[in-house]
Amino acid sequence: MSIDPFLVWLESTALSEWVVGSPSLLAFPGILALHAIGMGLAAGLAAVLDLRILGVAPGVPLVEFRRFQPVLWGGFWLNTVSGVLLLVGYPTKALTNPVFYLKLVLIAAAMALFVRIDRLIRSSDASAPATARSLRRLAITSLVCWGGAITAGRLLAYTYHRLRA
Amino acid sequence: MLHAAQIWLVHAIERHSPVATLMRTHWAWPIAESLHFLGLSLLVGAIGSFDLRLLGVARRVPIAAMHRLVPWGILGFAINASTGLLFLLTEPDQYLYNPSFHFKLLALGIAGANAGLFYATSYRQVFGASPSLDAPRRAKMIALVSLTAWITVIVCGRMLTFYRPGDCVGTPGVLLTCQPR
Repeated sequence: MSIDPFLVWLESTALSEWVVGSPSLLAFPGILALHAIGMGLAAGLAAVLDLRILGVAPGVPLVEFRRFQPVLWGGFWLNTVSGVLLLVGYPTKALTNPVFYLKLVLIAAAMALFVRIDRLIRSSDASAPATARSLRRLAITSLVCWGGAITAGRLLAYTYHRLRA
Repeated sequence: MLHAAQIWLVHAIERHSPVATLMRTHWAWPIAESLHFLGLSLLVGAIGSFDLRLLGVARRVPIAAMHRLVPWGILGFAINASTGLLFLLTEPDQYLYNPSFHFKLLALGIAGANAGLFYATSYRQVFGASPSLDAPRRAKMIALVSLTAWITVIVCGRMLTFYRPGDCVGTPGVLLTCQPR
């Protein structure tokens, strides 16, 4: 079964036409700019947390670094909303490109890793050698996932086969 | 005068660019762009969290301890200055005649001068013999300017595509924002 009728319908909605067709800078350009800011906040703070786990800035207590988490989540939700808007604008371009699914999987993995890392930091035995070892492993995996997600996202502009249904 | 300088620079780069051939190979540009976005994230994560700490987030973390993240922000900046230069040296007219690029450079200049101001005026208060956990007012102002300037840099960078310079018609402003013919 083809998803083409769904894509045709989605591209004909008023929201999709606004995202793609509006001459306003707040439409497509503004959404893209927000998506870049959200990326910096979410991936950037996650990367800094990973670096901290790997030994950078050892004077920063991991528990205290949790205070920056609302900013990370803010970036994540900003990009969920702006990402959905971009998807509504160009659904065929994204949904017919395997790289788009790779990006989503990598972001889901990175956020799941972040939640696991946070749970370990909050646990009472956070300084135990075994916990520290798992934290380091999770941090390295997280860095790889975020790097992959960002690269996959950037490559969406170069790897799509169909722009519109 | 400024127009002549812009035109001269575009022509000089077009004639002598050492990287244009490399950058026009199939994957060079997309790879450089990906690195540019990775560098952006590193810069925002490290500098942004340091700025937020100055503004009062995670107050119990010593500011000097947070400052150890700053070299990673500088690494992000170095990645982006290098990859940015690759773009500029490949398609100089698309940047030097682009108003969004002019504003991006302005915001970068403000971010740089502002960072200089931090080390000139607030460094000792923040890292001195008896460092306070609450940053002085001036350091907070500097942090706010830093966050605003870097967000402006990102927005202007993302807007470059939407201000591609067309052919010049009518009278140009202070800087050329169109392709002279």
